[in-house]
Amino acid sequence: MLQSTEYQVGDYMRWYWRTTNFATVMQRRQLKATRVARALCWVLRLGMLAQLVVGVWLLIMGIRDMHTMPGLWLCGLAVVLLYPLVWAHLIVVPLFLGRWLVIEPRQRRVIKRSAELFANHPGVRIAIAGSYGKTSMKELLHTVLGAGLKVAASPANKNVAISHARFADSLEGDEDVILIEFGEGAPGDITRFAHQTRPTHGVITGVAAAHLNTYKTLSAAALDIFSLARAVPHEHLYVNGESEAAREYIAEDMQVYNNLGALGWRVGKVNVSLQGVHFVLSKGNRRHELRSGLLGRHQVGPLAFAAALAMELGIDDNKVVEAISTTKAYEHRMQAYQLRGAWVIDDTYNGNLEGVKAGTRLLAELPATRKWYVTPGLVDQGSESADIHRQVGSLIAAAKPDIVVLMRNSAEAHIRRGLEAAGFAGEVRTQDEPLEFYRNLAHHVAGGDLVLMQNDWTDNYA
Amino acid sequence: MQKPTIGVFFGSRSTEHDVSIITALAAVIKPLELSGKYTVVPVYIAKDGRWYSGDELKDVAMYATGKIEAWRRSRKPLSVCFDQGLVLRSGGLTGRSQRIDIAFPALHGTHGEDGEMMGLFELAGVPYVGCGTAASAVAMDKVLTKLVVQSAGIPVTTFRHFSQHEFETDPADCITKINRGLHYPLFVKPAHLGSSIGITRVVDPKHLQDAIEVALHYDDKVIIEEGVSDLTEVTLPILGNDQPQPALLEQPLRKPDDFFDFDTKYMNGGKKTAAADQSEAGQKGAQGYSQIPAELSDELTKKALDIGLRVYTVLGCSGTARVDMLIDNKTGAVYCNEVNPLPGSLYEHNWSQAGISDIELVTRLVDLAIERHEQRAKRETVFATNFLQQF
Repeated sequence: MLQSTEYQVGDYMRWYWRTTNFATVMQRRQLKATRVARALCWVLRLGMLAQLVVGVWLLIMGIRDMHTMPGLWLCGLAVVLLYPLVWAHLIVVPLFLGRWLVIEPRQRRVIKRSAELFANHPGVRIAIAGSYGKTSMKELLHTVLGAGLKVAASPANKNVAISHARFADSLEGDEDVILIEFGEGAPGDITRFAHQTRPTHGVITGVAAAHLNTYKTLSAAALDIFSLARAVPHEHLYVNGESEAAREYIAEDMQVYNNLGALGWRVGKVNVSLQGVHFVLSKGNRRHELRSGLLGRHQVGPLAFAAALAMELGIDDNKVVEAISTTKAYEHRMQAYQLRGAWVIDDTYNGNLEGVKAGTRLLAELPATRKWYVTPGLVDQGSESADIHRQVGSLIAAAKPDIVVLMRNSAEAHIRRGLEAAGFAGEVRTQDEPLEFYRNLAHHVAGGDLVLMQNDWTDNYA
Repeated sequence: MQKPTIGVFFGSRSTEHDVSIITALAAVIKPLELSGKYTVVPVYIAKDGRWYSGDELKDVAMYATGKIEAWRRSRKPLSVCFDQGLVLRSGGLTGRSQRIDIAFPALHGTHGEDGEMMGLFELAGVPYVGCGTAASAVAMDKVLTKLVVQSAGIPVTTFRHFSQHEFETDPADCITKINRGLHYPLFVKPAHLGSSIGITRVVDPKHLQDAIEVALHYDDKVIIEEGVSDLTEVTLPILGNDQPQPALLEQPLRKPDDFFDFDTKYMNGGKKTAAADQSEAGQKGAQGYSQIPAELSDELTKKALDIGLRVYTVLGCSGTARVDMLIDNKTGAVYCNEVNPLPGSLYEHNWSQAGISDIELVTRLVDLAIERHEQRAKRETVFATNFLQQF
């Protein structure tokens, strides 16, 4: 589980003290025998063996000298019995030491060097920040700007300082545009990333309740994300105006994009289907019909922005239209596929309330014989978890699915309350074994069904 | 509340033993377990007729790798006991009894689909899924099926039939009767087998005797049917007791003068090895070689649905069955071809397209079994007389 939390001691300890049954927590992933994992396993084995030996020795000594040291055998017994509890905690000590003595000094050097590389890079450096939609925006810009410019993007969802440093090493120096995803996790992250990567442009994809275990409040998360505005000129800071939580932080001179338009371009005639979105983008006498395989009305704003930015950067209009037509859903992000005659929309990489809003809107908008909404709830919601999950329930009820499938976890009761409060009249099912449900989805659905699967609930949140 | 225990019976001394395993494991046991409503007990009937039970039997790898034989050697077979219901007793020192509340036969072909198992469940007095004893026995006999539906005014293609004894006594006379009354091409079939086993398409008289001998290798009765040259073949799965509900008409994707044998249906992914239609629909084994719904005019669709439902009712089917029909494209005539009282994999692919999921299909079948059982339980089967007092 330590590995599953990416060796985050806080997350690991929270999981440890929350869990009551340790026999069933490791379901989705098995331990990967990396160098670190192997070393930690050896520390565990040797440590536990040493504790057991000491415990047995104390036990024997205590029994032999019961008169002179009457409590010693009890101490020995306690040492023997408590070895799992003790080593579940002591295992973080080598991690602390390794991080403090080896990893952090090395990473500091690499990050410092990367700051110089970024600062001296001649291309447009676009930082992409936000509580959600960062990777999708990065991939979208990569595709569309790549139609006419040389573009490099930080890989997959590697979006923290050390990943940026490695990305800097991979740059060739002649890129026209580099796209850097900022994965905020704690207050101050965005400022640090901006200081390291020196962006010339910025995109804020939205603000939502995420990482509240560290940010505590939504406004703290928003302030951190909007600290990007101190690093780039406001006229080069593009903000998703559809994000309700972001609106109060948008300054007048910032550039807003939404499903009505972007950078002076207007959006019209929006059509949403299971095949994607279709709309018209126009500015003056320039008018383009854009088709994309991305699903959902919430994609119109980002698509319009990507197309508008590409044309502003001098890419030929026709190339932009062509590039937009090649965009399609990214894996596990509003990705539609057919299963036994049913349509399944896999949005399991979504993890916040804004994503739930977009998903439930899409579910309500699309036609189907029977609609399903499947969710385990949202992780990392901190003290606002109960309230947020009641909102999730309310949003689901508004989409009017026929069947809601929840998972047996701490979010279930709150979602149910939200559903009940909103007068949901459909069927609510609770699955004890989420993996079993996902694996056997084909047995549950039938032709004409539309299934929206939102969010994931990894083992460390069990 | 304790969940009812469902015994899923599969395998058996049948040429369709292997197909039955797939039906049981993929189409019955898994969805029943996923429904969360039942305790599911697999009951495997080996090719030698011995019965076994155990959770290991739910794993297809047991059969695919041949481990089943070693596993059987380490187990005692079950014995069956009628103790106010159906009780399975495992042998050995640690043997225990398992009461079966509902029986779900996933058997194909002889000693299972043909009414024999249904008779056993009737005697035990447990609800069981699918057609009853009589309907199963008639449906599994292609000759009886044709005679029954013909008597109800439902069209069938011209046919002849012989027993093994009749053919062996005077083969020349049998062949003469066929050649006089039927037009080629002909289809020669064992009367009781499914999954296209032992079927031969005969285009000229010189191959007729060989084809009959092949069919009689598997069965003691053979049926010879006249082929329809401009043919659309359709099949219709049906669900229900007194108010049967059709799924979607399904059309095998193949050339009109061709037909599917066992290998094509189950071994080649639903594709003829050389000349099969390579369309997208022909992808998945026994379930992937069809067009759903069949591309027919509204009029023909209505006619086929009507005939399918009539056949189901006339034979007294309940639970589920599949009615195969032939459509003469020239005349628009629809013929009943045969009835399958327990379709392979329950034809779940078709039901799924029709809007009924695998889980809903098996739970509805269980509900139908209970409904029929409760109806029968209301009937008096014991009649008080003073007959014995006369002695």
